[in-house]
Amino acid sequence: MNWTVAIPEIALACLGMAILMFGVLSKARNTFHICSLMTVGALVLTAALVLSSNGGLGYNGLFLADSYAMFAKLLVLAAAVLGVIVSIDYNEHNDLRRFEFPVLMLYATVGMMIMVSASNLMSLYMGLELQSLSIYVLAAFARDDLRSSEAGLKYFVLGALASGLLLYGISLIYGFSGSMAFDQLALVLSDSSHASPGLIVGIVFVVAGLAFKISAVPFHMWTPDVYEGAPTPVTAFMATAPKVAAVALFVRVMISPFGHLLAQWQQLIVLIAMASMVLGAFAAIGQSNIKRLMAYSSIGHMGYILVGLAAGTQQGVRGVLIYLVTYVFTNAGMFACIIAMRRRGRAVERIADLGGLWRSDPGMAAALTIFLFSMAGLPPFSGFIGKYFVFGAAMQSGLVTLAVVGVLASAVSAYYYIRIIKVMYFDAPEPAFDVRPASLSIVAGAGALFTLIFFLFPAPVVAAAEAAAKGLFG
Amino acid sequence: MLGVGLGHYLAVSAILLVLGIFGIFLNRKNVIIILMSIELILLAVNLNLVAFSSYLGDMVGQVFTMFVLTVAAAEAAIGLAILVIYFRNRGSIEVEDVNLMKG
Amino acid sequence: MLLAVAVLAPLFGSMIAGLLGRAIGDRAAQAVTILCMLLASVCGVSAFVSLVYGSATPGVVVLGEWVSAGEFHANWALRYDTLSAVMVAMVTCVATLIHIYSIGYMSHDKSIARFFSYLSLFTFAMLALVTADNLLQLFFGWEGVGLASYLLIGFWYDRPAARAAAMKAFVVNRIGDLGFAAGIALIFFIFGSIEFSTIFAGLSQHVNDVYHVLGTDFRAYEVIGILLFIGAMGKSAQLGLHVWLPDAMEGPTPVSALIHAATMVTAGVFLMSRMSPLLDFAPGAMHFVTFMGASTALFAATVACTQNDIKRVIAYSTCSQLGYMFVAAGVGAYQVSMFHLLTHAFFKALLFLGAGSVIHAMSNEQDMRKMGGIWKMIPLTYVAMWIGNLALAGVPPFAGYFSKDAILEAAWASHSLVGHYGFWCCLIAAFLTAFYSWRLLIMTFHGAPRADHHTMEHVHESPWAMTVPLILLAAGAVLTGFSFADQIIGEDWHAFWGDAIGVAASNHILADMAAVPAVVSMAPTVLGLLGIATAYAFYMVWPAIPGRLAASLPGLYRFLLNKWYFDELYDATIVQPASRLARRLWRIDGEVIDGMPNGVARLTADGSSQIVKLQTGSIANYAFAMLIGVVALVSLYLIVG
Repeated sequence: MNWTVAIPEIALACLGMAILMFGVLSKARNTFHICSLMTVGALVLTAALVLSSNGGLGYNGLFLADSYAMFAKLLVLAAAVLGVIVSIDYNEHNDLRRFEFPVLMLYATVGMMIMVSASNLMSLYMGLELQSLSIYVLAAFARDDLRSSEAGLKYFVLGALASGLLLYGISLIYGFSGSMAFDQLALVLSDSSHASPGLIVGIVFVVAGLAFKISAVPFHMWTPDVYEGAPTPVTAFMATAPKVAAVALFVRVMISPFGHLLAQWQQLIVLIAMASMVLGAFAAIGQSNIKRLMAYSSIGHMGYILVGLAAGTQQGVRGVLIYLVTYVFTNAGMFACIIAMRRRGRAVERIADLGGLWRSDPGMAAALTIFLFSMAGLPPFSGFIGKYFVFGAAMQSGLVTLAVVGVLASAVSAYYYIRIIKVMYFDAPEPAFDVRPASLSIVAGAGALFTLIFFLFPAPVVAAAEAAAKGLFG
Repeated sequence: MLGVGLGHYLAVSAILLVLGIFGIFLNRKNVIIILMSIELILLAVNLNLVAFSSYLGDMVGQVFTMFVLTVAAAEAAIGLAILVIYFRNRGSIEVEDVNLMKG
Repeated sequence: MLLAVAVLAPLFGSMIAGLLGRAIGDRAAQAVTILCMLLASVCGVSAFVSLVYGSATPGVVVLGEWVSAGEFHANWALRYDTLSAVMVAMVTCVATLIHIYSIGYMSHDKSIARFFSYLSLFTFAMLALVTADNLLQLFFGWEGVGLASYLLIGFWYDRPAARAAAMKAFVVNRIGDLGFAAGIALIFFIFGSIEFSTIFAGLSQHVNDVYHVLGTDFRAYEVIGILLFIGAMGKSAQLGLHVWLPDAMEGPTPVSALIHAATMVTAGVFLMSRMSPLLDFAPGAMHFVTFMGASTALFAATVACTQNDIKRVIAYSTCSQLGYMFVAAGVGAYQVSMFHLLTHAFFKALLFLGAGSVIHAMSNEQDMRKMGGIWKMIPLTYVAMWIGNLALAGVPPFAGYFSKDAILEAAWASHSLVGHYGFWCCLIAAFLTAFYSWRLLIMTFHGAPRADHHTMEHVHESPWAMTVPLILLAAGAVLTGFSFADQIIGEDWHAFWGDAIGVAASNHILADMAAVPAVVSMAPTVLGLLGIATAYAFYMVWPAIPGRLAASLPGLYRFLLNKWYFDELYDATIVQPASRLARRLWRIDGEVIDGMPNGVARLTADGSSQIVKLQTGSIANYAFAMLIGVVALVSLYLIVG
């Protein structure tokens, strides 16, 4: 048995336990701070292990470390590091300085890493639950805040329902095909006569469960409420790392075991993608809370990502991975700016609070402008490049309608992104925000720089995504 | 004549699933009932898995059942904990009251 | 490696000064940018020396992949050959001197860090342009210098004239860029690549390709040549697209010296030389280049004779000298045009910086009619201006003599109709050049002081930061001519240039130049001296003559003073009708077009509020939506599958 393939995950889980023990036993007053920094260290160390690990199939085919998983893991770890960094200062200021916070993020990350490496429906479920259970707690982490606990409750109930659907789907697939291993399933399904109605219903249930995790329409309903209610660093985390893992998992499940049924599921994904893009574009227009707006925005982005999956080709998967990279860094930077919105010690989150920001804090206004332009998909920012690759793949697969709807939706969504820019530059100035800590400036600055200059150096990312997509298609 | 076959197990399981799902959205009373409905869904799944496992003569399904049971326990613990802090803040666990955020 | 450091160091300096300028202060921003520039110039010059005199071999330094989409590939790469090495050495040296000069000139300004950041950014973009290995990177640099030029012309953004000038430069340049971009597209279309080496390797295969447009077949190379030249016309301010350059003088004087004299405006000439292997196959396009260059040289020289703003005179002079360079390029003497580019960079930067020093001394007065009688007070500037003007007028042994003479010889030696047109235009322009140069010199420094008492009291020699660059540039204006003439345009030019300038076998213009009659070689010098004498007579001996001349030929005088009415012509034919059309469209827009999007917007907002209503906040409803979703997907799947 080749157990070494999971060394990064094992190491991260052990480090998490060590940090937890330290947190329990430490008498230091700033235990939270120390644990957060240790978590960042552990995540970086794990990234190094991922880079140096040798790939392969292990644990009786439950766990697969290939180039695709490696790409997704590195992205997840990067997103998690950014998430932990932006949480430190916020938690200090909002009475959330408890050392369990970074540890929960760490275990969610372990879950995500298992998700992207899953090559069996069983390991898929275990990874997914490890991730979900950690995040349920994180969403309700502000124990004394009604909105946070309501967000946690909603996320928990709906998440449990989604896992139930997913599990039911898994049981049907298992029963009608006789296996849970991805390679076995692919083998069985290569003969399309084995695709019995029971199996197909099972696949749809699995799709529904996974679509919930990436908040695609019509399983998106939890997203705006939970994004709004959860503490902002948790929202930032939920919008980046788990999305990467869930998308990576979704793509692997659709391509690896069910790749032979492309003709059947393609229409499903097209429909979900269209609905997500359109809803993300329209529902965000009337929003006045920036976190809620980001929720609709991420629903829209998931739609664009599914466009790449709908293509069902290697180019499509490459586009998905490139889009994820641009999405993660733009969103991390955007949320760093949102966390920095604080007046006299209190976090504010209305869009109107950004009024006249250009005068009081030109640096933050510039960074936000870059992020918003990028999310609207304007060239030459990184968001445009992501969209270029997924739409290009969709066109190549002949999904012209889907691409057209996508472009129209992104035109509509540009309206509300640019409205925020208008607020920052032309509206009457609001009082200046509090001085923001260096950690947020660094994350926002790094995100802005990446978003701004990605078009100059896309080649390494494109090449890595190409290799990862190739790994998935074998 | 009345041999209990795979079909029967699946039917029971499907009924349990539907009950569970309906329990979530038809119930207007109490969040605790939602937690029970979730358990019901997981039970439906377990029943399915065990039935298939025995039908296929393959142990994987039963192993998975063990995993699901474990996870369900953890899930219930976390769910109840969240419910407790929600009750502390809101003073009610009426399903209708869980609507602070919308729109 | 040296080349990479030379190119990237200014970018680094610019980033530091631009992003951290506020944090580290003006002094530190200056120090960082200037240190980076010194490093760049040391590397740039050593890259040049080791290539031409040392053992280094030409090559390409690939920094990374940039774009790879289907057939289309472009790298970030530095091309290391004599052409780029010469340009890098020249650009880094001149830019370094101008950075140093700016310490003194901008010392009273409010945003010094911003100025140095822009200046270094410009230098980086210019270096990226000249070291480009493919047309896309060249275009990147081309737009980069355009952007930096826009920012620097409008540097004093609180002056309406500066803002207008920046806009004008931007808009006029876009017209040229359109041609350039179309040229690049056509090159890609024909050669399937935009890398220079691939293009030049494929030259002989596509000689007879035709490009079909407007029902006529044109030879593709001719079309490419014309399109590229249109790009060059915008950047290098050739007749028709020259209108932005004089206005650009609204920017700070160091900017005029660096961007609008020494480097950016010569990018068009550089482009011609870079594409020389292709252009040699496009004789028609090259005739056009010669014609436009010659016309510009003469036109700008006539205008310069009547202008009163000291910087505008030099700006028109730049325009005129760029025309000379295009004449040389047009007749196939690329080496000669590069040589003039090089000498011109030194003496024109010198003239601008000298003018800056004068303006500095005269408390920001730019009108020559309000100067005079100051030559004893600022002797160093005075000497520097003399040297610059001697070089510009082509008096031996100053730098301009060698390069300008060679251009006239080349024009004569081409033995074509358009070549002779170029020769005569340039010859007359040579006379006018000498005339306006001494007009400028005499009006600025000699005669009775015409400034008010207050200003005259403050006339002072500039600080060392400004005079040291003047001295060094003056040395360049004296030395670059005779020390490089033999290598660059002599018999064995091939030893110097290597393969950087590739000419067709049929092109032997440099050999022909040696055979032109002595009269032709002598003519520009004689006319130059004649021009100086005329100016001396007009403005020194009988100062009444110019006024009487202007009075007796009022039409001609006004025609020249108003720069041949180009601005008015454009205003009447393009700007006015366009703004009328815009106003009319605005009205239509307000009523009809706006009506539609506004309606759509209202519909969108309505749709949005409907969708949002679904989001009730109730868990039960959310769960129900999920169930509906599953049922819908299952039915869909069963129907489709």
